Amino acid sequence: MNAVEAPAHDPKTRTHQKTDKPWQVVVLDDPVNLMEYVSRILIRIFGFSKEKAGALMMAVHQQGKAVVWTGGREKGEMYVNQLHSAQLHATLEKAE
Amino acid sequence: MTLAQTLNGGLKLIPEERQDWLILLEIAADASEDLAREFGELMDEDSMWDEIVVPELEAEFSVQRKHVLKVVKKAQRAEKKEIVIAPKDADLWYGALNQARLSLEAEFKFGSREFTEREEIQDAAMRSAFLRDEFYLTLQSLILRYVSTD
Repeated sequence: MNAVEAPAHDPKTRTHQKTDKPWQVVVLDDPVNLMEYVSRILIRIFGFSKEKAGALMMAVHQQGKAVVWTGGREKGEMYVNQLHSAQLHATLEKAE
Repeated sequence: MTLAQTLNGGLKLIPEERQDWLILLEIAADASEDLAREFGELMDEDSMWDEIVVPELEAEFSVQRKHVLKVVKKAQRAEKKEIVIAPKDADLWYGALNQARLSLEAEFKFGSREFTEREEIQDAAMRSAFLRDEFYLTLQSLILRYVSTD
């Protein structure tokens, strides 16, 4: 019986998997929408806890924008659609 | 105008003077029809936002404006001159008020100005817009607090 040799392994060789960068849903600040409303919408759309939604809302308010979700483009577009429907300014950006 | 909470979780508006009706009619008039397109400008061309999403948003926002206008006009003609915002209609009212406030903000930039009192505003059109914005904001806050279900 012939033994099957294991394939030679060169430790210097690495496999590089090319993956697309994820997309980010970014909510932008505006001077009209009420902070309470923004929190409620984030809970309604993303299912965040009250604490997480509140923290993201404050980040939007204080920093002008905040990344609220990261993932695939198609799902990100669905979320931005829902945010626009709720009249929140939001966009989709490729992650850095 | 008198505003009161109803027993079934709604909000009742009882306009008493001519200007009460006028300001309620102004909600739909103040709301710009360009909001959906402005949202489209936030997205890149690959998203096909202008072709697919913007028309849907325009239709949705139009429904909100038309609902509020229809309810106010109907109440004006009715014997019992009052408007009830039921929980099922909270999003329609909130959305129409938000459209009006976003439009006023785009035109007058209240958010970036220093004044907070109407007496500080010399321009009559701006003073009137500031008053309406304050009223819309109050009504939105009451809807959030007393009517919205989530």
